[in-house]
Amino acid sequence: MFELVLQGFWESLYMTLISTVAAYLIGLPLGLILVATDADGVSPCKPVHTSLGIFINILRSIPFLLLMITVRPITKFTMGTTIGSPATIVPLVIAAAPFIARLVESSLKEVDRGVVEAAQSMGATPREIMLKVLFPEAKPSLLVGSAIAVTTILGYSASAGIVGGGGLGAIAINYGYYRNQTEYMLPMVAILVLMVQVFQEMGMRAVRIVDKRQ
Amino acid sequence: MAETIISLRGIKKHFSTKKGTVEALKGIDLDIKKGEIFGIIGLSGAGKSTLVRCINLLERPEEGQVVVNGTDLMKLSNEGLRQNRRSIGMIFQQFHLLMQRTALENVCFPLEIAKVPQAEARKRAEELLALVGLSDRLESYPSQLSGGQKQRVAIARALATSPQVLLCDEATSALDPNTTKEVLNLLKDINRNLGITVVIITHEMRVIQEICNRVAVLDGGVIAEVDTVEKVFRAPKSKMGRQLVFHESDENREALQGPIENSYRITFEGDMTNSPILGNMMLECQAAANILAANTRMIEGKVYGQMIIQLPEDAAKREQMLQYLKNMGLTVEEVAYV
Repeated sequence: MFELVLQGFWESLYMTLISTVAAYLIGLPLGLILVATDADGVSPCKPVHTSLGIFINILRSIPFLLLMITVRPITKFTMGTTIGSPATIVPLVIAAAPFIARLVESSLKEVDRGVVEAAQSMGATPREIMLKVLFPEAKPSLLVGSAIAVTTILGYSASAGIVGGGGLGAIAINYGYYRNQTEYMLPMVAILVLMVQVFQEMGMRAVRIVDKRQ
Repeated sequence: MAETIISLRGIKKHFSTKKGTVEALKGIDLDIKKGEIFGIIGLSGAGKSTLVRCINLLERPEEGQVVVNGTDLMKLSNEGLRQNRRSIGMIFQQFHLLMQRTALENVCFPLEIAKVPQAEARKRAEELLALVGLSDRLESYPSQLSGGQKQRVAIARALATSPQVLLCDEATSALDPNTTKEVLNLLKDINRNLGITVVIITHEMRVIQEICNRVAVLDGGVIAEVDTVEKVFRAPKSKMGRQLVFHESDENREALQGPIENSYRITFEGDMTNSPILGNMMLECQAAANILAANTRMIEGKVYGQMIIQLPEDAAKREQMLQYLKNMGLTVEEVAYV
């Protein structure tokens, strides 16, 4: 059982971390675009803002399990299989990227409008404002967001176990639920709880180190 | 006097709100001369902040011409405007510093944008922070600085790209009186030593009084009057000017129950404030005058006073008293309210 748990733990960990990184690679620029193209953004563009917003909302409104099933052709095409931990990364990224885009958007929007105005008065370009003002100023809030993102993705990855995903969730479901072996179920849940605690705490500590406002 | 550095012509700007359209600026014409400290005063909502933002086109007017340093900003491309903004520094009421950067890094920011090499930028930032008296706080973050210190960093930052004009949007409104004085003195020094034209937006008369050469009184999106601070303080021509100079708030007027008759504003300056003119007048004319309001103030080292008095109903006596005051060299004007 120990080996099984260890394997599940590593699978969950890499699924979550790789998915989070990949989802940020997509979600971060999307969030930046959402903020930049907003009516009070640095380069307003209503068509882009609105259509991107709708696209993100559609993806976000599909429950993760249904999304996972829906995108199976994409998973098959990219990973060659639809089951196991590596295959779960694909739907995880697709589900998490729009979520992260919204987290990033809300973090960037917290930055004081006046600071942006000051940068504009100095002749900063929209790009410079995004990269040198909004992004660095929102860094603490972005870190808080990343802790939320990584814990949410861990949760998604666990529920992926029900449709062929790997990791702790799959073990809990296959052994704990289908075989009714509670002794498997409880440790998995405990480890998941612990992982969430650790991720969250790490995020908050990083914020305290990074944030210069206190 | 010197040449014009900022010229605004027919500036109109409106905002659409849920309640409808608000005309913030209704056709502003204004000339600001090179090297002066120019104040724009008005109550909140008069359009001051919008007006100052039209000078660097943070707000783009719907109509009008904005010429700064000989360049018509409205005709520039985005890139051209960005280049030009480097010669127009701006500071704000809430400082708007980058909270995640040190004082030094904040001052370096406009230089980074202007593509100044890092070592050079750092050197210049250090010089500027020394100029504003913060050599010992280079590595402090804004959250570790007081309000006055933050505004000093903001001033250093605004000066980094060697602007010709410094726009100050309520720059001292968030500061206590002592700090306000320090910051105003710093602005005065900068104006004098670097020859930078300073435009100050404020709702506080004492700010204007303290450092401005000329002042425009803004009222409901139009300029009520423009003149030297001395003249506006001595004899404000507009209703808003009088309200601001003589603190004629609505409550005061109500307390005196509306319009008053046979009342005159007398304004005097310099030594006259020391002689008992009014007492002598009453003795001479053998009639009493009722003092409704009075105050004195110091402008650029000279004492100015104003008083509103009510004279007797007897027209002959009144005439005699007015003549006496005029003979003493005072400015006398009839007023319908206090």
